[in-house]
Amino acid sequence: MMSSVNSMEQRLQIAGVLLIMGLVIEAICLLWARPISFVIFVALGGLFLFAGVVTFLFSHVSIPRADD
Amino acid sequence: MPHATTLIVLLVLFSAALIAVLVARPNVTETRGGKILAFLVLCFLPILCGAMGVSSEMNRAETTAFCLSCHTMEAYGKSLYIDDPNHIPAAHFQNHRVPADRACYSCHTDYAMFGTLKVKLDGLHHVFIYYFGTPPAPENIKLYKPFSNRECLHCHLGARSFEEGAVHTADPATLPAIKSNTLSCMSSGCHEVVHDIAHLKDAKFWKGSQ
Repeated sequence: MMSSVNSMEQRLQIAGVLLIMGLVIEAICLLWARPISFVIFVALGGLFLFAGVVTFLFSHVSIPRADD
Repeated sequence: MPHATTLIVLLVLFSAALIAVLVARPNVTETRGGKILAFLVLCFLPILCGAMGVSSEMNRAETTAFCLSCHTMEAYGKSLYIDDPNHIPAAHFQNHRVPADRACYSCHTDYAMFGTLKVKLDGLHHVFIYYFGTPPAPENIKLYKPFSNRECLHCHLGARSFEEGAVHTADPATLPAIKSNTLSCMSSGCHEVVHDIAHLKDAKFWKGSQ
């Protein structure tokens, strides 16, 4: 049980780091009003945000069994 | 920077700070309240921030300043100040027949189903060419397809100046031809002067502010 909790916390941390990166990219792109910022926001920021949210949701449906 | 964008940036930074707290202390998610907090911070807030960011960026992509921020478009921006009532884009811009802060988008959007999405994709294509391709010289830029009367009629259809204009009503076949897009508004002898980039250096400019 302990190892599954740690594993989940680890995945939450990974999700958190991905989301922070996505949000920082979003903030920079919103402040930097240039056409390329829109592309970076959608392509890079969107990718990190999507990966972060998916990692978070995935951590809830794939908690490893204690005997794994 | 618009206030809305400032608020979105503050929300984004606030969300990032909350996520940082969860990353530093993931054990708070062991409790029920912590799990709810984790859902709000790691799922709900990032999606909300992303949606608001996209909305803000889409809105900004419709502004005249955004279109003219590319070096290639400078001459087109300058053509909006040509002091000549026959120069259609300039006359529309200077007399606020289109919103001055959305002048490019007002005429160059596609007033059809999914038109906004289509022009945004065209815009992404422009950005791609600008950074990764060879942008054409301003005078060589062409529309992807001939300008449709639909874009003009979006505002002018039903207007007295359009429906009862002397030239428009001189021949009974003219108005139906314009409305069915078989006779272009920009036909020779009609409203043909648009973004006359080639003769910009000889033009006289209006000195009004935007």
